[in-house]
Amino acid sequence: MNKPSASDAPSPDLPQQVAALLEVSKLAKRVQGPEGELTLLEGIDFTLSAGESLAITGPSGSGKTTLLGLLAGLDTPTAGEIHLNGNAFSSISEDRRARHRATTCAFVFQEFHLVSDMNVLENVMLPLELAGLAKPASTAKDWLERVGLSHRIHHFPATLSGGEQQRVALARAFAVQPRLLFADEPTGSLDHANGKRVIELLFELNQHSGAALVLVTHDPQLASRCQHHLELHEGKIIKKVFSGEKLVEESAIEKFIHQTHPS
Amino acid sequence: MSKLLRPWRDHSFQLLTLALAIAAFALSAAIFLRAELEQRFNINTAEALGGDLVLAGSRAPEPEQLARMNNFSISQIIDFSSVLVHKDAFLLVSARAVDAAYPLYGQIQLAKNRFGDEYTQKQGPAPGHIWVADQVLDRLTINVGAMITVGNKPLQISAVIRQLPDQNAGFYSMNPRIVINSEDLEATGVMGPGTRIRQQSVVGGDLEFIKKLSLELGNNLRPDQTLETVDDAALRSLGPLRQLSLWANLVVLLISLLCGAAIYLATSQRVRSREKLAGLLRSFGATRYQVATRLLGWEFLAVLPAVVIASTLGGALIVITMGNQGANIGNAYVSATSPLEWLIALLAPLLLWLAFALPRLSTLVRIPAIEVLRQRQQTHLLSTNVELFAALSAPVLLAGLLTDSLVELGKVLGLIAALGVLLPALLWPLIKGLDLLSTRLPLAARLAIRRLSRRPALTLPLLVSLTLAMAVLTLAGQTGSQLLNDWRTRLPAKAPNHFVLNLFERDMPTFEQWLEQHDAINQPFYPVVRGRLSRINDVPVKEAITKEKTSGHRHLNRDLVLTETNSLPDSNRIIIGQWHGDKALNVRPKSTAQSAIRHVSVEQEIADNLGLNVGDKLEFITSRGVLKASISSLRKVDWNSFEPNFYFIFEQGEFAAQDITWITSFWLPEGDGARLAELLHDLPHITLLDVKTLLDKAQTIIAQASQASALLGALLMFAALLVLAAGLLSGQQQRGRDNALLRALGGNQQLIKGILWIEFLCLSGSAALGATVISLLALYPLNERLFQQGMSISTWQTLPLALALFVTLCGLFASRKALQQPALSLLRSQVE
Repeated sequence: MNKPSASDAPSPDLPQQVAALLEVSKLAKRVQGPEGELTLLEGIDFTLSAGESLAITGPSGSGKTTLLGLLAGLDTPTAGEIHLNGNAFSSISEDRRARHRATTCAFVFQEFHLVSDMNVLENVMLPLELAGLAKPASTAKDWLERVGLSHRIHHFPATLSGGEQQRVALARAFAVQPRLLFADEPTGSLDHANGKRVIELLFELNQHSGAALVLVTHDPQLASRCQHHLELHEGKIIKKVFSGEKLVEESAIEKFIHQTHPS
Repeated sequence: MSKLLRPWRDHSFQLLTLALAIAAFALSAAIFLRAELEQRFNINTAEALGGDLVLAGSRAPEPEQLARMNNFSISQIIDFSSVLVHKDAFLLVSARAVDAAYPLYGQIQLAKNRFGDEYTQKQGPAPGHIWVADQVLDRLTINVGAMITVGNKPLQISAVIRQLPDQNAGFYSMNPRIVINSEDLEATGVMGPGTRIRQQSVVGGDLEFIKKLSLELGNNLRPDQTLETVDDAALRSLGPLRQLSLWANLVVLLISLLCGAAIYLATSQRVRSREKLAGLLRSFGATRYQVATRLLGWEFLAVLPAVVIASTLGGALIVITMGNQGANIGNAYVSATSPLEWLIALLAPLLLWLAFALPRLSTLVRIPAIEVLRQRQQTHLLSTNVELFAALSAPVLLAGLLTDSLVELGKVLGLIAALGVLLPALLWPLIKGLDLLSTRLPLAARLAIRRLSRRPALTLPLLVSLTLAMAVLTLAGQTGSQLLNDWRTRLPAKAPNHFVLNLFERDMPTFEQWLEQHDAINQPFYPVVRGRLSRINDVPVKEAITKEKTSGHRHLNRDLVLTETNSLPDSNRIIIGQWHGDKALNVRPKSTAQSAIRHVSVEQEIADNLGLNVGDKLEFITSRGVLKASISSLRKVDWNSFEPNFYFIFEQGEFAAQDITWITSFWLPEGDGARLAELLHDLPHITLLDVKTLLDKAQTIIAQASQASALLGALLMFAALLVLAAGLLSGQQQRGRDNALLRALGGNQQLIKGILWIEFLCLSGSAALGATVISLLALYPLNERLFQQGMSISTWQTLPLALALFVTLCGLFASRKALQQPALSLLRSQVE
């Protein structure tokens, strides 16, 4: 039985795992546009271990969503490689990537993306069933209890508020006990109070589960709650703060200025 | 202009316009074809009847009746029996005296000599002239140009009669036919007191006025008079044109229904794509009127050109193809395409748009802006059902009004429309039940069933549309092929084109040798005995036939043609009792007195006229004595079958002691007339009838009807495919979203394909089940109207199953885009 509980999850007090969960090297994405080739992402390198959290920020059009899509295996890069658990992830078939997603990853979307014709319980059960886990109903009920929605398990998404829908989405994401959680602007569709509540819940659940978190956000405050931070501009990293490495990498812009004005 | 072109960028608008354009094309083609057929059918019926109304009696009509009829074009025809005299030879003939107005409709087919080429004439013979049938020339061994005496008046033979326009059923008679001018009638002196005549006053005119005249005359008929109108004749007739006309009406109704369903589905998608704009306009402060004008007004103007073009193309197709056919058969082509037909053809698709699209589109105006902006789906099952029912009723009524055949086809339509709505409603609990039971099924099945059972606003209209489309295709396929088969077997390519009567036993070797020599193909030989009906159930006929049965007297005052056989002719169908050729009837107790009673089968119409029923005993007086028989069955006879047909068919062996002649019909390949001259030279006493002209005309009608029905079938198929396409495309957006989410959550391609397979199989399987039930139930009333027979099951009944598989494959093909929907689109909110 995969009953999740605080005791099952790795504690933050436990020694840090050394092995990298997600390794990204020289990642690039280019597409053909009406005026020739367009570079969406270029030169993305970083490593993320289990239990760590990474915020990706940047203005609209900087490549945040493209990067998230590549990291989750929803899209394939033009160049570079992604390793998940030490295995090449971006160069394998779509079905194998889907299988990895089902067993390793989870998502929280900005627009919730609950299945409208499934009730709350069935929505949370869906990834458990896709991953072929045992007793999906009781696991889903446990997680719904954790997000405070055990009294609404037979309700359909249309009858829930935005905050409640995102809490169902959190339950759905954590129910599979993912090793890697992707969150795309999880508070983007919520008001401040609801957004705050969802974020508290997200970090609390993440802390207990021990999953690595990749969070895309516009909100600097929210980004500051993550251990690591990548800032993108026009598809390139302009700021990379990885706390474990004790190093603040020179931004691409600063590097550019040094190269052009060596004095 | 740019505002008119703007909607074309939207896929849902393209789909809606395509549905409307196909509806406009199919409807206008079907409306024009129906009008054309109706017109031809009316002309044919009027020609067969001689006019639009016929008042017949045993003497001239009353002066007040004549006064009423004189406001119309009128022709007086007098039919009587007479004897032709030429030198020392006499010949009993069926004579007809006609006035200058004869024939009101159609043309007379004549020939200049016995085997000469035929030509047409629009008037009867001039005074002093006589036209005679082939047999007169054969029997009296004379030629055109000879003088012949009718009563006291010598008349010159000026033509050979090939066909009179009103010479319909019963084209072969025992007595040869002659036609004279009625101005010569008095001089012949044959019309003395007590002479049996049948005087017909044939009237032609506008059908509305004819109806009024029919009512006025009908109230004051003398006992000897009968009144018949085109409508009466049409009801009796079940010729190919009549069947096709009924079928065309049905097709118009079904096309309306299917196109309406397609428009409904396409509009649903259009509404979904316009909801956001409507919500935004409302939130910017636009009034409902402004939203309606901006969204619905421009929508209407944008679809209008497509509808007009498609309607024109549909109408033009029929005008061109049917116009050519009219020219081919040499008839004066009268176009049925009046400005009214054009107007109806243009309005019909727009009315369909109003009935199907407007209620859905108007939700854009009705729903509160906040609902739209919050993207809450409106899935009220009740309102969906009400909309659906209202929308389905609209084309039934519309098409009913267009075709004026709601009464005739009402049973079938009511059944299809009611079941079209009811059955999916009945199937719905089944799908819901499957949802409840699906907890133990594999994941793919569970997800597929949930998609169907929890989206009534998407599933129900699709289920109704698919059920209707499958039922309609099955019904159309079965009845259409049955019609074609019916026509083909009725008049095969080598249908008899000649009749021969008065063959004696001794003539058989010569005749059969002649048939073989000229590659002629003959029908069975039937022995013929002439006899008069003398007693019914041991009561003399004059007492047995009540005065109310005046029409029965016609059959009492003349010799009837009797035959015997144990094989039921192909063109006959037993409707009551049992055919005496069947074995069961022949097992009879020999010792009883009843063993002497033989069986006879009677034609239904004469049985009705004489008030005869199965079990009645009949007695006929023949030249050799009395023939007794008990009625064992009543038959329906196809008098247009070009085979010998009989009112009374006796059990075989009954004619042993009678004077017998033989009758048959045969097909003779194209060739010169010398072959027939040779036969008449060898067997001068036989009567030979050439029915080639009649046969050609009938075969042309069959060919036309077959072409037209194929065209109608194609239009129907087109409409059904449109429903299918609209149905499959309408759920595409939702399917794309579902699949992208499943992919993001780790669902693989195989699982998603499995879900789609099961979803489409469940949907199309349920529709196939519903369609099978509808087609089985609707076949009975449909066959009754089209073929005057009940149920007939065929392999077409399996069509819904094949269609279910086809729909599933099409659904999978159409969903391939949804299958490839990148999960990345979820992150970008770009799900299409």
